[in-house]
Amino acid sequence: MLFSNQGKPSGAMEILSTAGTIGLQLVTATFVGLAMGYFLDEWLGTSPWLLIVFLLLGIVAGFRDVFLEARRIQRRSEGDHGAESGPRGSDPK
Amino acid sequence: MAAGLPHPLTYSVIIDEKLGLGLPPHVYYMWMAMIILLTCALMLRGRLQLVPGGMQNVFETAIGGLEDFTVANLGEEGRRVFPFLCSMFIFILVMNYIGLIPGCDAATANVNTNAAMALCVFLYYNYIGIKKWGFGYIKHFMGPMPALAPLMLVLETVSHIARPLSLTLRLFGNIRGEEIVLVLLFVLAPVLGTLPMYFLFILGKTIQAFIFFMLTMIYLKGSLEHAH
Repeated sequence: MLFSNQGKPSGAMEILSTAGTIGLQLVTATFVGLAMGYFLDEWLGTSPWLLIVFLLLGIVAGFRDVFLEARRIQRRSEGDHGAESGPRGSDPK
Repeated sequence: MAAGLPHPLTYSVIIDEKLGLGLPPHVYYMWMAMIILLTCALMLRGRLQLVPGGMQNVFETAIGGLEDFTVANLGEEGRRVFPFLCSMFIFILVMNYIGLIPGCDAATANVNTNAAMALCVFLYYNYIGIKKWGFGYIKHFMGPMPALAPLMLVLETVSHIARPLSLTLRLFGNIRGEEIVLVLLFVLAPVLGTLPMYFLFILGKTIQAFIFFMLTMIYLKGSLEHAH
């Protein structure tokens, strides 16, 4: 069922697993930023400034990950339909 | 059991009492997965044929398909990293399926197993990147614009450290959740309730193993391709 076309992972499998990956990066990146800020604060004694800065950086990194992931999906779906609908959009990359 | 609902009875408890080693259940089920895979591998190696039949056919189809998928995504360099990717996938798949056997628990339903594997992935893709690019690997962390490089360095560091954490938590959360649902439904309606869930969880467990494989592949792609 999942390895239908000559043992290759089928499209449904790929889409399901891509859908399963989105979202958790946002949470973990935020927590990693928080933890880095907390331990840097303990080490350097600059409480609470580095905590705030690194928490914000973590949130930004999480959003950036989700954005890059979404762009990857978009590029792949454009690759699928590219043959029939021609070039869409003008992404320079 | 780390926390939450305890498994009613696992074989590992009985084995542990016999052996007197005092090891937690997930270690035994990981060993079980290793024994199953090693037995399969040795049996297949003993009678490899030019025209595959039976089990060799199944393995050749699945592994050949995965190799094609990897090469389509990573290019020819994918063949060098494929053994790591594929053994990761099969190992996780077998450990996940062991959780479906009554009286057994999935080894991946414990954070420690997953954290070990995610750390391996983290070290491996960084090793591959450093081996290929040398000191230039740091450009992968800098982003496209030189003016923003210090900011991007911090952002990329945060998101790279978040990768093993999210791999660990995703696999642990999904498999542990499925195990808890199975135990709960078994308490509510012994066989009738759990049997339909098996079909859903076979799908879910395959997808979780595939997600781990696919994300490892994407990370390896990031460290193999040219930086921006």
